[in-house]
Amino acid sequence: MNPTRPGVAQYVLLTLLALAFLYPIWWAISSSFKPAAEIITSPLSIGAPTLDNYRAMFADVPIGTGFANTALVLAVKGAMTMFFCPLAGYAFAKYTFPGKDLLFGVVLLTLMLPTLVLIIPLLLEMSALGWVNTYQALILPGSIDAFSIFWMRQTIAAIPDELIDAGRVDGAGEFGIFAKVVLPVIRPGMAALAVLTTMNVYNDFVWPVVAVNDTSHQTLQVVLATLAQNITGNRIGADFAAVWGELLAAGSIAMLPLLVIFVLLQRHFINGILAGSVKG
Amino acid sequence: MRSVRLTPYLFVAPFFVVFAAFGIYPLIYALQLSFMRWRGAGAAHWVGADNYLYLLTSPEFWASLGNSAVMWLLIVPIQVVAGLGGAVLLANARLRLRGLYRVAFIAPFVTPLVAMAQVWIVVFDQDHGPVNYLLNLAGLPDVGWLTSTVWAKPTLALLFLWKTTGFAIIILLAGLQAVPGGVYEAAALDGASRWRQFWSITVPLVRRSMAFLVVVQTLAVFQMFAEPFVVTEGGPYGSTTTAGLYLYEHITASDLGTGAANSFLLVLLVFGLSLGAVRLLRPKDEVS
Repeated sequence: MNPTRPGVAQYVLLTLLALAFLYPIWWAISSSFKPAAEIITSPLSIGAPTLDNYRAMFADVPIGTGFANTALVLAVKGAMTMFFCPLAGYAFAKYTFPGKDLLFGVVLLTLMLPTLVLIIPLLLEMSALGWVNTYQALILPGSIDAFSIFWMRQTIAAIPDELIDAGRVDGAGEFGIFAKVVLPVIRPGMAALAVLTTMNVYNDFVWPVVAVNDTSHQTLQVVLATLAQNITGNRIGADFAAVWGELLAAGSIAMLPLLVIFVLLQRHFINGILAGSVKG
Repeated sequence: MRSVRLTPYLFVAPFFVVFAAFGIYPLIYALQLSFMRWRGAGAAHWVGADNYLYLLTSPEFWASLGNSAVMWLLIVPIQVVAGLGGAVLLANARLRLRGLYRVAFIAPFVTPLVAMAQVWIVVFDQDHGPVNYLLNLAGLPDVGWLTSTVWAKPTLALLFLWKTTGFAIIILLAGLQAVPGGVYEAAALDGASRWRQFWSITVPLVRRSMAFLVVVQTLAVFQMFAEPFVVTEGGPYGSTTTAGLYLYEHITASDLGTGAANSFLLVLLVFGLSLGAVRLLRPKDEVS
């Protein structure tokens, strides 16, 4: 906007702000490598790094199971989102058919449905189906979401009709046009969708914590949360510092995958975040 | 040609199948259940509007809404101001290192909420946490960040703000960058001060982004669940039992009829608040 050169004060302010945002992450990760006792006795120092907290955490916490379950949910739910949402978006963007406006209206309406309202009804449905503590309960609800359809519709609408007609002239079937013409063109949008879906599924907590209560199906976030609750529940526990060390080790390891993806693919992340704001 | 006419329906069908099975069906079931007394086992009894009346006359229900309202006040105004400030700082075309600052601001948004909620437990612990350690070094007494009814809400609000203000900055920055630079030059030529430019050009032009931000965050604050669930378990003395957490407590109490009624009351409230926010923040010259 203003073409004047930014002053020193602006850089100082931005740097302070950036440090404030990054410090809690840095503190958690660096503390997780400290001898547990020092987290309490000298919380701001950085001592000789040790893996003790990680060793103890891996022994005490089924974090591997958590990672495996999250990976499974992410793979299936992600694949469904990446296939069905652009497909529906394509139909809404490039076809005219009776009832289209009504159907798209329903998609838009579900965008406004707060997720929380569905938690209790869904839980009841899962128990009626005998699906509590199953992968299908973690995966199916919300696996084809309205927002992604809306977003993909916007992206696909920008493709020139001539391109699609050319595919039709070449004799491609309706699905062939989607797979061979539409998908390659919207690759950047698909990348942003993939990154955002990964973040949402990886961090999802409310539904997994309600739908699953046995250790073998818990996702990573649920494993983490139970860990925290065990600690808050045992405040007079014997070795307070050791528990904190494990807590920070588990938290740090859980943060890592998304932070790495984010740093590598930040452009797609930001596009994904902004895609939401266009509907405002 | 018949297949072509069927095609679009086939393409959109998967969404509607999933939505019917895991959206419409449970909603209708829940609506019915909200008029029944059912404890998760045994027979359900029709009780009319009793669940709704019970909630509307229950101090706990109103306290949960009150807690969420306070959270909203602690979060949304601060976030709009801080987000706009951060966006204005980043918007200068001649700023160096913008990419790096942007990464720093959004990094918290990418971290898992549950993991950071645990970090909050440690950082704000009354007896051994680093924040009180620093206060003690400065000769100040301990603060019960998570154990006092005064401080627990602001401490949770800080977690929310820390995690999502980068999101606010990105949204508002996009709004700002849509403002053509020439507008400011013209205003500067007309002798408008920087402050005046900010209020007369910047704010009106980012109204749309601001409205989006306020609606999204209002929805998020009134559904806030993981922060109090993990960090404070709704305490101390229920002071962080948000509307979202209170809803969950009906599940643990196996009072599902009341829980269903509570869900619908919360939806009505959130809908009303979003509509109000959109109306208030809508640019004046727009109809849609």
